[in-house]
Amino acid sequence: MSMWIGPMKKHVEGHKELTNYNEIVRLTAPKLVYIPIFNFNSTSFELFVKEGDRVLVNTKLAVRNDNMTVPLFSPVSGTIKGIQKVMHGLLKPLDHFVIENDGLYEKTEAFAPLNWQEATRQELIDFMMNAGIVGCGGAGFPTYIKYKFAKNVETLLINGVECEPYITADYRMIEENIQDLMIGTQAMLKAADGKKAMIAVKETKKELLVKLKEAAASYPSIEIKAVPDMYPMGWERTLVYQIFKKRYNKLPGEVGVVVNNATTAIAFAHALKGQPIIEKMITVSGDGIARPANVLVPVGMKAADIVEQLGGYTADEISCIAGGPMMGKTITNDQFVTTPYTNAITILKTRPIDAIECLRCGRCNDTCPAGLLPVRINNAEKAKNMDMIEKLNVNDCIECGLCTYVCPSKLDVTEGVRRAKRILALKK
Amino acid sequence: MKFTFRPSPNARNTQSTKGIMFELTLGLLAVFLFALAFYYVEYGMSYVIHALSLMATSVLVAAITEVLWCVFLKKDIKKHLSSSFPIVTSTILVLMVPISTTLYAMAFGSFFAIFFAKLLFGGFGHNIFNPAAAGRAAMLTSFAAAVTVDMTTGPTPISSIANLGWIVTDQTVLGELLAQFGGLQGLLLGWYPGALGETSALLILVIGIYLGYRKVLDWRVPVFYIGTVFALASVIALVRGLGIWYPMYHILAGGLMFGAVFMLTDPVTNPTSAAGRMIFAIGCGIITVLIRVQANLPGGVLYSILIMNMFTPTIERLTDGWQIKKAKSYAISIGTLSLTGIVLFVFIANIMIPVVPKEPEPEVPVITLGDPIGIFSPATSTATPELTNTVTDGNVVTYTVSSKGYAILEGGYEGAKPNVFEIKIDTAANKIVSVKFITFSDTKGIGDKVESAIFLDQFKDLSIDDEAISVDSVSGATITSVSAARAVRFAIETWKGE
Ligand code: SF4
Ligand code: SF4
Repeated sequence: MSMWIGPMKKHVEGHKELTNYNEIVRLTAPKLVYIPIFNFNSTSFELFVKEGDRVLVNTKLAVRNDNMTVPLFSPVSGTIKGIQKVMHGLLKPLDHFVIENDGLYEKTEAFAPLNWQEATRQELIDFMMNAGIVGCGGAGFPTYIKYKFAKNVETLLINGVECEPYITADYRMIEENIQDLMIGTQAMLKAADGKKAMIAVKETKKELLVKLKEAAASYPSIEIKAVPDMYPMGWERTLVYQIFKKRYNKLPGEVGVVVNNATTAIAFAHALKGQPIIEKMITVSGDGIARPANVLVPVGMKAADIVEQLGGYTADEISCIAGGPMMGKTITNDQFVTTPYTNAITILKTRPIDAIECLRCGRCNDTCPAGLLPVRINNAEKAKNMDMIEKLNVNDCIECGLCTYVCPSKLDVTEGVRRAKRILALKK
Repeated sequence: MKFTFRPSPNARNTQSTKGIMFELTLGLLAVFLFALAFYYVEYGMSYVIHALSLMATSVLVAAITEVLWCVFLKKDIKKHLSSSFPIVTSTILVLMVPISTTLYAMAFGSFFAIFFAKLLFGGFGHNIFNPAAAGRAAMLTSFAAAVTVDMTTGPTPISSIANLGWIVTDQTVLGELLAQFGGLQGLLLGWYPGALGETSALLILVIGIYLGYRKVLDWRVPVFYIGTVFALASVIALVRGLGIWYPMYHILAGGLMFGAVFMLTDPVTNPTSAAGRMIFAIGCGIITVLIRVQANLPGGVLYSILIMNMFTPTIERLTDGWQIKKAKSYAISIGTLSLTGIVLFVFIANIMIPVVPKEPEPEVPVITLGDPIGIFSPATSTATPELTNTVTDGNVVTYTVSSKGYAILEGGYEGAKPNVFEIKIDTAANKIVSVKFITFSDTKGIGDKVESAIFLDQFKDLSIDDEAISVDSVSGATITSVSAARAVRFAIETWKGE
């Protein structure tokens, strides 16, 4: 394809050395934790606790009750102080439970553990649903849905690629939990009723690859796959194309593949032991933070509290990004909280960017992993040419940010594509 | 603490448009240095100085035009200049012109390129035509091209093969053609005069590969362009039984390499999709060969770029859509275009006619007449001629007289011979009938002007009884003229004495 379209991917400067080898820091939970009453575009929840109630670690707080089921668990023991609107990492204010942490960490059982080897496929899927397993790769999509509708699965692809710059949390998570990764992968393979599993990691992670291959040696159904260090290799479509040379319309299931994040597989393995996702490994990195590190934090901790424990900011003017620098949203305060699907906070010193006219170089078109023509979309958006915007298939943009990244004229190409999406949505 | 907002992504590649333009300029300067070295070694310092003056003129005029534009539109000059890149256009323009270009023409081209082809279209990023190509075309078609500086250079590879009708089947003619430039290797190295920066295909190729590797330009454009020209020339070569030299000649000569690397790749005037750029390059290739062999015009590369620039918006529309879905239709378009080109050139190859090189027409010397010579003046009384023959036919007496000319009187070398004249006198009317040269022995190119009718006809009908008769000498050939007058005087006196 690369002849007619371009490479559709690009190596992006990773800056991973900032956090790759540092010690993992376990942060103490703050006085107040905030649990967003939200999951993947939905705020429709049944609440089990109210103001004044005492909760324990693992107490089920609420459950999503529209077309999907996703429970929320408390990461601390303490008292519910109420419900408050707080800025969320997706750049919109949302209702959050406010829990006052009593520091006792009294525990309750979230759900009963499950022996995956004895469980049936259906039991595994139901368990996944009730344990609140969501995609840890950033979006928080409920994982069980994928397995519920999985048919004729050839390969379960476990995505350990982590292509965003700065982020090393997945990498560290995998390194620390190799056995759990193997267990989670096998359990998921069973839930998918698939033939074999493949764990994909960047070829540049040499040591990890060796360790993974060693561990996988005793599991004949698991294969370890090295993929190039390119962005966005962690995106399903790019990864599936890289490995299987196949493209699909809507879901990877069309080509017999189910894709799950490696950390999700690990979370699933933990859940099988009775542990819901109430703690997350996240990478806090960038040149705007004093001590970049991978940290273990409870879900619901405010960014400001995390930054404080890592020595604060290094400059007066910074950009605070929920996630990595490519796809993460810049938030103009540090009051947003960590969620089960948060994997990073990136803090960068603000630098001036001076944009000039579009060179029409086509780099954005050549690298767009979705095969779109971002500069053409930008032109159509400027001209408010709706037919053209539609023809250019703008809704397939995943906002990976690559078009802005490669633009030598330093234009906000991705933002133009977003605007085009918005005006198209308004028209409909 | 201040939190700045910026829409994601917050990471940027290090490569910038300014960096790209900088590297491109370095590449162009390397080509210019090669040209300076060539002219210094082969022609001397004055040529180098002229080349440098051309460069200075072009760059300065471009910069001044941009500055005036800013002043006129009240724009921030520094900001505008740093994002308008006049140096690239003006440098390319210099490399496209021959050394004999006047500074005046250079200034005109540079101004045209910057003002008409770029600024008027809305400035950098908005121009439709490649500014350098437009500037060069303007220079070629305007009055400016007619005037050249007196700096001789030889024939170019393009003019040489164009004179042969772009097809050479005769082996001797081919040998002569290639020998002028030191064979194909000579064309590759480019150590011959031509447009300043267009000769060294090898150097340009190396720079092109480097710039492609640095992602300053898209490799597709030069590769597909050169590939197309090579393939189409090969079609002609196959149909007409020419050797591999023919497609090689096409890609090595006439600034094709320079165009491929430095001009076609101008991103602003290219389509923005990869497939679009491939179509653009193939289209340029077809038009280039077409212009060369059919229209027999110089500048095939130049005009092909300008023509394809007009199609850029069309190509953009053609490739618009979702690239993944359209990949197949891209492949089909490109395949169809290539095939059309090949079929077209099978036909064209069959109708091409080689031109037999003509002997150059002898130059007609310009003759002007100068000081008069009296036939009976003292000048004709010396160096007495000799009568070699007399024929009488009724009233007309014909004398053959040998009279010493420049060769004997001034040349002073051994074996110098006199000029021999034939003089006819009408003895009834006492008039000269005619004077003719029989043998000419003086300096060729100077004295032989005296053979011209303009001079000799002056003797007709002169009265032999008039002592005051005179003829005007030929300028620059006085001594030969006098030798003629002396012969006539001798003939008259011989008749009278008889
Ligand atoms: S942000 Fe959208 S348009 Fe830009 S490269 Fe990514 S997918 Fe393509
Ligand atoms: S990468 Fe930037 S400069 Fe190049 S075509 Fe896209 S928008 Fe224009």
